[in-house]
Amino acid sequence: MSTYTRLEIGLFILVIMVVLLPFILIMGIADASPYHPISGEPVDEAAQATGITVASVRDSTWSLPGALGGKTYVLTDNTGETVTVSTQSFDSAESRDAAVRVYHTQQVGRGMPVGSLVVIGQHLIYVTPAHSNILERLAPLLKQRISP
Amino acid sequence: MIDEETAGSTGLPSKKVLGLFALAMINVAAVLSIRNFPSMAVYGWSCIGWYILGAVMFLIPISLAGAELATGWPEGGGVYAWVKQAFGEKGGFTALFCEWSNNLVWFPTVLSFIASTLAFALTPALANNPWYMFSVMMIAFWGTTAIAYFGEEASTKFGNVGVILGSIIPAVLIILLGVWWMGSGQAIVLPPLTLDAMIPVINVSTLPFFATIILLFAGMEMAGFHALETKNPQKDFPRAMALSAVIIVVCTVLATLAIAMVIPANQLNLASGVMQAIEYFFKAAGMSWLVAPMAVLITLGGVVSLAAWLIGPAKGLGIVAEEGNMPPLFDRTNKYGAPVAVLVIQALIGSVISLLYVFLPSVNQAYWILSAMTVELLCIVYVLVFASVIKLRYSQPDTPRPFKIPGGMAGIWLVGGLGMFGTIFAFIVGLMPPSYFTTSGFVYVGSVLLGTFLLAVPPLVFLKFKKASWLKSAGGVR
Repeated sequence: MSTYTRLEIGLFILVIMVVLLPFILIMGIADASPYHPISGEPVDEAAQATGITVASVRDSTWSLPGALGGKTYVLTDNTGETVTVSTQSFDSAESRDAAVRVYHTQQVGRGMPVGSLVVIGQHLIYVTPAHSNILERLAPLLKQRISP
Repeated sequence: MIDEETAGSTGLPSKKVLGLFALAMINVAAVLSIRNFPSMAVYGWSCIGWYILGAVMFLIPISLAGAELATGWPEGGGVYAWVKQAFGEKGGFTALFCEWSNNLVWFPTVLSFIASTLAFALTPALANNPWYMFSVMMIAFWGTTAIAYFGEEASTKFGNVGVILGSIIPAVLIILLGVWWMGSGQAIVLPPLTLDAMIPVINVSTLPFFATIILLFAGMEMAGFHALETKNPQKDFPRAMALSAVIIVVCTVLATLAIAMVIPANQLNLASGVMQAIEYFFKAAGMSWLVAPMAVLITLGGVVSLAAWLIGPAKGLGIVAEEGNMPPLFDRTNKYGAPVAVLVIQALIGSVISLLYVFLPSVNQAYWILSAMTVELLCIVYVLVFASVIKLRYSQPDTPRPFKIPGGMAGIWLVGGLGMFGTIFAFIVGLMPPSYFTTSGFVYVGSVLLGTFLLAVPPLVFLKFKKASWLKSAGGVR
């Protein structure tokens, strides 16, 4: 019959807790984005408020269950930097969060997913590239729309 | 007979069931992923340049380093055995544990991919149902764990069939369809090929993507975990590395280009997923009927990839436990030689994290941080592997290495140095938060580093409290 010392059982529990800790902590501290209806087009409004030029805009609907449609913008600033921003609104918190999970399954190799995904109310906003001055300028205005 | 069954490090029999093909398929299963194709196709012709960068800075160095280490030290444990030779037990155990613990972050994403891809073959709306997602994720996770329970022979058979059906055949189908598309005179959405078009744009905005590309081919060391079950490791490892590298590169580059030629970049919305791209691709070719079978095959490919990453590092931890570096609770093997305790603990932890992943609302930012931790943990593994291949040339120059990185010391420094440079670069860039992040940069970097530390530190705790009685051959308590 197997018998284990207190040290061994204690170490076992400690290690399991240490391994689980980062997940619980990070999922706890990271900002949640509650699902709520947002009127207007947050990206367009933020771009106008920050003086970023909308070079082109077109309607687009992602081929995902619950996707209601949105816009794809090409934004540019006075330095010539260009980013593509695609927005999409969803009919429920479940469909929006399922789309978030789909995005995180798109890791390239064992790295990160391409681009950046922003969750605001019923919208998902997908930006490529993930790092840009344009997104940094838009971010403060977009953040204001997270809470209902 | 020693050819068929030899003693493991602590006397457990290891059946020699793996040959060249099976070893190569383990690496192909771990690395070749259809999920990458649409993400890379967005970059058009420049995906060729990105792939070349990934090959030069990581795929070639890790393949050469892995071949030298696996033939010089064909012991169980893979990266554990290699790094232990160079930097002792602490280094080896840390490298292995980082490889194992980064899986814990990755498992929910690949399981979610499996469930949502299968939903695509059934009813796509199922992917919105967390209960469906969690049920399928658990069936895939525990099912793969059950296959691992039946030992190397069962895992190998499943892996060989699965990787051909789930990874290679879908990739070849995409390539053939691309060839047919060009041959039938259909419109090619890419501009004419020029040298300039193939060169990737590297600037501050694309640095994180550059770092991601370096780890695109992570997993080439996976066959090394199966050294004890390999019939002729000295001969087969280098050839398996070469064969798997060729299959991975050919399938990846050609299938990515096929998708890039057919689907306009603005339709390759990454948030929409790989199946949406595949659907567009096959519909454009008038073969909609192939979408559901492709979804089933790609689901199988996901399961095989999961199996490769689930079994390899768990086998390594089993070896570590056998050597008495972990409490006996972790050291349970069954009659098939499978590390049952590690497999069950891994499945339990993975299930808890998957539960959080599926049921916690809007895990977007949390999962971005966790994915960054995956990158950091993997970088630690590879830095240690590349440092080991260099150090062992100095500390154990006379150990026979049936495969040696050519070019003498200059060659080893070039290969190891390039690999180390790439992975250190990826580690640093992995700490950059995306421009849009509601958490402050300090909190982001702190979270990533703290999480990485916590997931890397348990080996040091185990070794600190290590007792002689933990070694099986010492008559330790079981």
